[in-house]
This record gives sequence, C-alpha cells and structure tokens, in this order.
Amino acid sequence: MNTILIIEDEILIQQSLKKLFERRGLKVDVSASGKLAIDLILHNNYDRIICDLMLQDISGFDVIEEAKRKFSPEEISQKFVIMTAYNSPQVLSRANSYKCRLLNKPFDDLEEAMKTMTE
Amino acid sequence: MENRPYPPNQETSEYVKIFIDPVIMSDFQKLNLEPFTLTTEEKAQLSILKRGDRLWVNFSDGDHCDFPYYQKNVTTVLEGLATDTFKKLPLSDVFDGFVKTTQGIEKRVFSSVSLSPGENVKDLWDEIIKKINLISGESHSLSSLVEKLLDVPFLQKFETSLVILHLKGQTKAELIGTVWRFEKKQSFFEVKDFNAFFNSIKKSKIKSFTSDSFPKINLPFNGSFLAKEVTSRKYSLVAVVSRHDFLSYGKDEIELFETCIDLLQPHFERLIDQEFSDKRISELRVCLKDFPLPLRIRDGISGTSFMNDLYTGELQEKDIFFNKKVKGPFTLDLYDSDELRHYAFDLFHFQRISLLGELLNTLRHELSNPLFGLKLGSQIFATMDISTDSKEIMKEIEKNVNRCQVIIENFSNLYQVQSVTKPVTIKKIIDESLILSKSEVREVRKSITYENKAEDLQLEVPLIFVVQIIFNLIVNSAQAMKNMEGPKEMCLIISTDSDHVLIDVKDNGPGIPEDKLTHLFKPFFTTKTQGTGLGLVLSRNLAVKMGGNLEYLVNNNEKGAHFRLSLPKT
Repeated sequence: MNTILIIEDEILIQQSLKKLFERRGLKVDVSASGKLAIDLILHNNYDRIICDLMLQDISGFDVIEEAKRKFSPEEISQKFVIMTAYNSPQVLSRANSYKCRLLNKPFDDLEEAMKTMTE
Repeated sequence: MENRPYPPNQETSEYVKIFIDPVIMSDFQKLNLEPFTLTTEEKAQLSILKRGDRLWVNFSDGDHCDFPYYQKNVTTVLEGLATDTFKKLPLSDVFDGFVKTTQGIEKRVFSSVSLSPGENVKDLWDEIIKKINLISGESHSLSSLVEKLLDVPFLQKFETSLVILHLKGQTKAELIGTVWRFEKKQSFFEVKDFNAFFNSIKKSKIKSFTSDSFPKINLPFNGSFLAKEVTSRKYSLVAVVSRHDFLSYGKDEIELFETCIDLLQPHFERLIDQEFSDKRISELRVCLKDFPLPLRIRDGISGTSFMNDLYTGELQEKDIFFNKKVKGPFTLDLYDSDELRHYAFDLFHFQRISLLGELLNTLRHELSNPLFGLKLGSQIFATMDISTDSKEIMKEIEKNVNRCQVIIENFSNLYQVQSVTKPVTIKKIIDESLILSKSEVREVRKSITYENKAEDLQLEVPLIFVVQIIFNLIVNSAQAMKNMEGPKEMCLIISTDSDHVLIDVKDNGPGIPEDKLTHLFKPFFTTKTQGTGLGLVLSRNLAVKMGGNLEYLVNNNEKGAHFRLSLPKT
C-alpha cells in the first residue's frame, strides 16, 4: 500500500492522521470537501480512502456513490474506510451495504484504528 | 329536435335568416359564406352562435339545440347549411340529417339535451322541482342527497354526482359522492388546493370543465363535468356531476344544473349542520370518556349526570379539584386523584427529561469531533522530537480532553430516559446531584453526612429519577435562603432504617409556614414568583413510583425546612 486519501473536514483530525500515515512512509493526500475528494479519486489511483461521513458540502456516502463510476463494488469495499461519530442504526446499515470497514470516532485505541485503516 | 313537428309545405316555404355570432363570423368569412335564409312555414328565425366550444342553433320559437363545435365539424356544419339541399329541407330533417351523417357522439349529445315533442319547459321544471323536494325529504345524510341528485329528470344520463366540502376551520376538504351510480367515494384534499378549485369554478362563466383541468383535485372519474359552487358562513362546497364523456355541456344543462343546486342549498346546509353536530357530539363523548381525570357533568335541572370511566362512587365533594358552570344548567366537576399525578405529571416529567436529553445529545455530537481532533493532535505531538516539558503539556492536553469527553458522555447518559435500571451507589447519586446543582448552591455551606456507611449501599433505581428529586430539594432550599442574612447552611444526611435508605435535606432558611403545609404537595401550588408549582409534586410522584416517598418533616424546635426522601433498599 502506497497512497492514501483522507477525507475529513475537521482539520486537526485530518492533519494528525496525515502525520501518522506519513510516518509510516505513505504518500498522503487530504481533502476537507467531498466534491474535491471526488475529483481526486477520479484522477488518481489511491490504494486506500479514509472517508468521514459528515462533511460540510456533501455526505461521505455521496462520495462513495460517485466513486462507483470508477470502482467495482469489490474495489469500493476494499479501498474505503468509513469514519463516523454518528453511529445510528440507519448510518450503520447503509455503511454495511458497501461492505467496507467502519471506524467510530473518537478512536478507542489509536494503534488498533491505524491497523484497521492500513491493513 | 329529431321529432320536431314540422310538416313540410313546399308551396308556402319562405326563407329564414341565419344570424351569426361575431365570434364565429371569421369562420364564415373564411368559407366565403354569406348569411343565408332557410324556408320555413313558421317563418322561424335561426341563429347559430358559438358559445365556448359549442355551436348553438336557436329557433325563433324559443326552441333550440346544440352540438359540439369542433374545428373540423364547423366546416361540415357550415357547408351543410349552405347547400341547396339544406335550404329546401324542413329544419327537423336538416338536423336529423346532420346528426345521422356524423358519428354517434354528436347524436347522443343532441338527443340528451333536446326536449321531447310537445313537452314544454314549464312541465320539465315542475317535474324537476317535484323531484328535488322528494329527494331532499328522503335524504338523511349529505351523501345520500348527493347520490339521489342523479334521479332528477335531466340528470338521468349522468353517471357521477359528488360534492367537495370544506367546513371552515377544518384542515382538509372532503369529497363525498357516488361514481357510476353505485360506487361510493370519499377522499380528502388540501385546503389550498380546494380553494383554488373553488375559485376557478366560481369565476368560470360556462361551468363546464374537464377532470384533468385540476391536477391537484383528483376526481374519481375521467371526462368533462358540470360544477357549481355554494358558499355559506360555515362551509364552502362544490357540487359536481358528470356523464363520464369528454363532450361539453349544453346551455340547458348548465342552467338546469345551476338552478338545481341553488334549490338544494338549504338542504345541503341542513344536512351538513346535522351531520357535523352529530360527529362533534360523538367525538366529544369519546374525549370525555377517555379524559384522564375523574369527571362528572351534572344537569342542574334533571339531576342526572354524565360520568367518565375514572369516576367512582367513592369520590366526594371535597375531592373536586376544578369546578365550572358550563352552558345551560350544566356543571363540570374534575376530581383530584392518583390519576391526576400519573397522567399529568408523568407528561411534564417526560417532557423535561427528553428536552434536556436532546440538548445534551446535540452538545455531545458537536463537541466530540473537535475534542477528538485535539486528542489526536496532542498524541502525535507527544511522540515528536520536542522537549520533555512540551511533552508533559501534550500529555496534560490529552488528559483534559479525555476528561471533557467523559463528562459529556456522563451527562448525556444521565438524561437519557432509561427503562433499565442499573444498581447505583448512594454516593454516586449524591455526587451527581451536587454536580448538577453546583451553580445554584455556590453561597451555601453544605455538609454531607453518611451514617452507617450508607454511601456504599447499592440501590436499584433509575439514577436520573433520584438525582432529579434531590436536585429539586437542593435548589428549592438554596432559593428559599437566597435573600437571607447571615450564614446559609444546608445539610444532607443519609441514613438507613430496616427497609429504606433515608435522604434528609435540611437547611437553616425560613422554612415553610404552617398554613402552607397542607398545600405543599398539591399541583400548581408555589411560593416562588417564577415557579410552576410542579417540582415537589413531580418529585413525590417519582419517589412513590420507585416504591419510596417524599415527605416534609415538621419539627417545631428547628428553624428551616426539612425534607425526607425514602427509597427502598435493594
């Protein structure tokens, strides 16, 4: 795994995660906006996409829907890691429908979370 | 028209003039036709008028007939009228001929509006009025009157009769009627859609419409229809009849229909009044029966009473909580009872809790993301190449963030309406109550005494309930002492007896005057200017629910107030 995209509008979280991944030798792109993220996804080849659900412009699910233009459902399930602070049953069931990994914010254990995101 | 008695008489035939309405004059001009005359024994004058999308042919003897005006057909009509054959034919034959040369549709319209031979308008009217009197006498509901409208002589070829009714003040307009003469229909429309519909009908001069002209008013049939609006102080109504075809209606039909509805208006009014007062009475009856307090309505004249299900014979004059003379000889009594607390105060309590819960939930969600950012950031900085001092600061930031998260978590859990109760220690209960009331009791000196190691006792009660009661007592006490001179003191003493944990809240404030004591736990009783008079009622209600109690202890030797909450030991 070489390249990673972090979609997160809370800059502190975004930059902290960026630092953490860079320390592990990964090339990291970031986006605070969903629309910019879609653009980045369509024009680059990321090995992993960490996506927050509550963005300012559109939702993380919208980003995944747009990414379907480029990726197969299998690729979506492997590439995307969904991050959310709102784990309502509706959100969970929708997230599960993409079969991708799900991380609850705040992370209970940072190491564990990093493992989930980079594995 | 087809059987119009019109003996042809070739010898005395004369020409009649056809008058042409200016509206269709242009059509004539396009065809290069001059107004022309027809032969007729009666010297009848014939005029052709375009009204809406229909052509009218009027005869000077007051008789007339009409047929739909289609662009294609007008040519046919005019050409037909212009031919020599036409001129020579008696009128009846001409129109018969015309009808026969076109398809059945025209024929149907033609025959449905024309009067039978020998029949005159007055006879028809007599018959209509007789029928209207009959059906309005027979109808005991609006829907049956609407259905029977189709029995009126000239409406016998119609398939649908309905009304759309809006009672002023109601949020919906209701459609009531019969489709295909047997299928009862009922549906509802938004008031603004109904009003638009009503106004279009009102403004229209021709009163003839098609079902697709009003997309918001979904009529249960397809085709053109006649409509007439009726309005009164209490309601607006549109009456609709249709033959389920796409042909428009003749002037006769429109006039007859409008007059019928005018004649029916007082009957509509009567039936609507009756139906809706019946409905109101039965709804009121249901409401009163289910009213959550014992209730009795006494009839001062007959001495009889209406009582609801909660009223029992044991209730007495002194239990009356609310009493009012209502219209006429009636008196309404509401009785104080356990139900009063159960129903009314559960609701107040629930509203309070759920509002706070919502508020705290929002707060938690809004704060959790930035706090998480702070935590992540400080964690990363702590592992970077910075001085030991800076690392310490980063660790402190992380710790503080954790504390914030825990506090928010606890508060929002506290105010969730819980159905399951977890065992909780007395100490936890007291601590939570003190945290919540911290700002209220800043100036008060507090002492907390646990007797017999009561602090570690576990209770199986909903934490939030108990905390709310104690919080209430603490705040009440602090408020009572607010304007007091000298030191303000409050003590919480937690002790036990054989089955109960006793939580006493005492202060050195003004206490409660003896004459107020009897009202202390009555709803809406308050000594505060801003109070609701519900705090103590709610608190006692909660305590009783948990199997405990809340009382005021009177001790003449002591100054200040003394409340005791008792809760059952697990």
